[in-house]
Amino acid sequence: MSPDTTPGAIPETARRPALFIGIAGLVAAVILVWVGTAGLSGSDAYVRAVLVLGGLGVGYLALDRLLWRLFGRKVQTDLWLSVAWMSVVVAAAALADVLPLEESRDASASFGAPVTQRPDLFSAHPLGTDTFGLDLLGGVIYGARLSLQISFGAVAIGFVIGGLIGVLAGFLRGWFEAVVNVLTDSLLAFPPLILLIALMVAVNPTVVNLSLALALLGIPTYIRLARANTLVFAQREFVTAARGMGATRRRIIFRELVPNVALPLLSYAFIIVAVLIVAEGSLSFLGLSIPRPEPTWGNMISAGANDLRRIPHLVFVPATVMFLTVFALNRIGDRARQIWDPRESKV
Amino acid sequence: MIAGVRPAIIPGQRWGTVLRTINLKLLHMVPVLLIVSFATLALLELVPGDPAVSVLGADARPEDYARVREQLGLEQPLPERYVSWLGSAVTGDLGNSVVHPSRSVWSLIASRLPVTLQIAGMALVMALLISIPVGMFAASRVGSAFDRATAASTSGLISLPPFVAGLLLIYLFVFNPHVPRWLFLAAAVLGAGWLAWYTLRLLRSHDLTRSETTWQVVGVGAMLAVGIGVFLMWPSFPRQGFSRITGDGGIGENLRTAFLPALTVALTEVAVFARLLRSDMISTLQEDYILASRAKGMPVRRILLRDALRPSSFSLITLAGVSLGRLVGGTVIVETIFNLPGMGRLIIQDGVIVNDFPVVQGAVLVIAVVYVALNALVDISYAVLDPRIRRGAA
Repeated sequence: MSPDTTPGAIPETARRPALFIGIAGLVAAVILVWVGTAGLSGSDAYVRAVLVLGGLGVGYLALDRLLWRLFGRKVQTDLWLSVAWMSVVVAAAALADVLPLEESRDASASFGAPVTQRPDLFSAHPLGTDTFGLDLLGGVIYGARLSLQISFGAVAIGFVIGGLIGVLAGFLRGWFEAVVNVLTDSLLAFPPLILLIALMVAVNPTVVNLSLALALLGIPTYIRLARANTLVFAQREFVTAARGMGATRRRIIFRELVPNVALPLLSYAFIIVAVLIVAEGSLSFLGLSIPRPEPTWGNMISAGANDLRRIPHLVFVPATVMFLTVFALNRIGDRARQIWDPRESKV
Repeated sequence: MIAGVRPAIIPGQRWGTVLRTINLKLLHMVPVLLIVSFATLALLELVPGDPAVSVLGADARPEDYARVREQLGLEQPLPERYVSWLGSAVTGDLGNSVVHPSRSVWSLIASRLPVTLQIAGMALVMALLISIPVGMFAASRVGSAFDRATAASTSGLISLPPFVAGLLLIYLFVFNPHVPRWLFLAAAVLGAGWLAWYTLRLLRSHDLTRSETTWQVVGVGAMLAVGIGVFLMWPSFPRQGFSRITGDGGIGENLRTAFLPALTVALTEVAVFARLLRSDMISTLQEDYILASRAKGMPVRRILLRDALRPSSFSLITLAGVSLGRLVGGTVIVETIFNLPGMGRLIIQDGVIVNDFPVVQGAVLVIAVVYVALNALVDISYAVLDPRIRRGAA
């Protein structure tokens, strides 16, 4: 996110140190993180925490320098790190069954495994184990699979239904728009988490039901976005031209408006996925989402919350993964919106 | 009609427009509230379980269940039940809770709503107290290290799920209290050091008058004093529970138990508020009258506080109002983590889980009324504060 304060070419003499500083910084970061996680095991937890956090900070600054040196000053390091993180999460979730993971779901199969082992990157359980000896890395990856399935499913449903209603409201106007507005306002006036909880008490927590319930939460947002974007596009010349050529309303909606509104709507998908991952996590934390033995981020955090003082990594491992995923999705979503949302770029 | 052609403000007409706005908003509230309350009833129909079982327990005779269902009005079709509920709700009677011991829904809400309102209100005040100076300072130095650090930490805070934030705060403030304590002291000392260094630099370039120098020195001293004072008197925060103002501990105990829940809620809000104020302030600072102030040689502090803050704060006020409305129904997670007797847990634990439908309906209605009313209030106050909106509405 470093803004360009002095644009223009960087003199060669300044570029070479940047390369060295970048590489040296990365090496230093790796050493710091290693010392913090493995090298000083048994010493004070605060020292280790400072070492790891400091190492990560140094690593980020060094990578920033390095990318700046290699690709120029406009490169957005945090954006590329976010893309990299999401690729890793999606790939791990997709390949979860193939990866050589230790047992993370069936407590009867993890019998000989060490119990509540602390994270140690160079052991069989890189992120540690829980009170049943279940592997946290495996749990986090299977949890990612569920979270992504549920929230992407919900966004897909909300996108189609909400988008269509929004386009119709923005194009037809009149009484239909008024009714849609009142319904959207009512849905938004309902406390969202309470609506979700009531729904999930009523139905079985399955992936499909959760997706539907979360979709209901996202639909008003999609209706509003689609309507606002349709209002912009419906006044453009090509719609007037289509009208003048005698196009039917259906043709105008599906051939002229929908393709144009879809892209800005899609650019919001990342941010809505991030919101829904948090919502699913909250439900899961309250015990209303997919229950154990299936691990989800929320139920892992909830299970660890009772032992927070003694075994903090049970909470902080899944919490960190969840935080990084939400952060990455927000960052990518911001960028996507800057590129594709016409209302955003027309300042 | 062209806005500029109209006479700017005619006193009578001006308030007429505002009143019309108010009427429109109130009219808009009615269908929303009707739909929300009907949807609540319909949703409760979906929840499995028989309220009669909640009343009598699991092993009563079938005819007793039927009698209780009759008494509760459960044998009537849904629309009829809704109309009769609505009839008494309009006259202010929300009925009694079904589950033993039966209490009036109003008294349940009256004991829970203040807790939620206090948490939401405290969170809002904390968020404003932190975000206004941070947002202003970041906007006055776009691209500086402080600005970039603010951007990074706000996007971090926005991505922090509330239950993770709550557990993190418990881990730091309850289980490892010396970490936030020393961090606070360090931040205060660093801040004071920076201010002292900045003052010295200005003094050397002779940019300060005597009274300004005094203020800067007072600022350094105040920062140090607050830092050391808070460090010395650092309270210990409880893991869970809530002490009412009317309780044994009085207001001190009440604030001590409400602090962490409110801070948890405030963390997300701080980030949103600070970002909004920063971006609004940046565009205000590009206005001509700010340039004029600068050219006159006004000190930066005065330009920021006197000239730029008020016109930049419209959207912040709006957002704060909307946030307060949202929080009244949105603190379930925090109430669960910290075990607080608030509205969220009233609805979930005493309502949805045990099938006590009058409690759920009454509580959701109250939350929806607060939410919609605050939203309407924000719209109206916006019209009062900003003449352009007022004229546009006419």
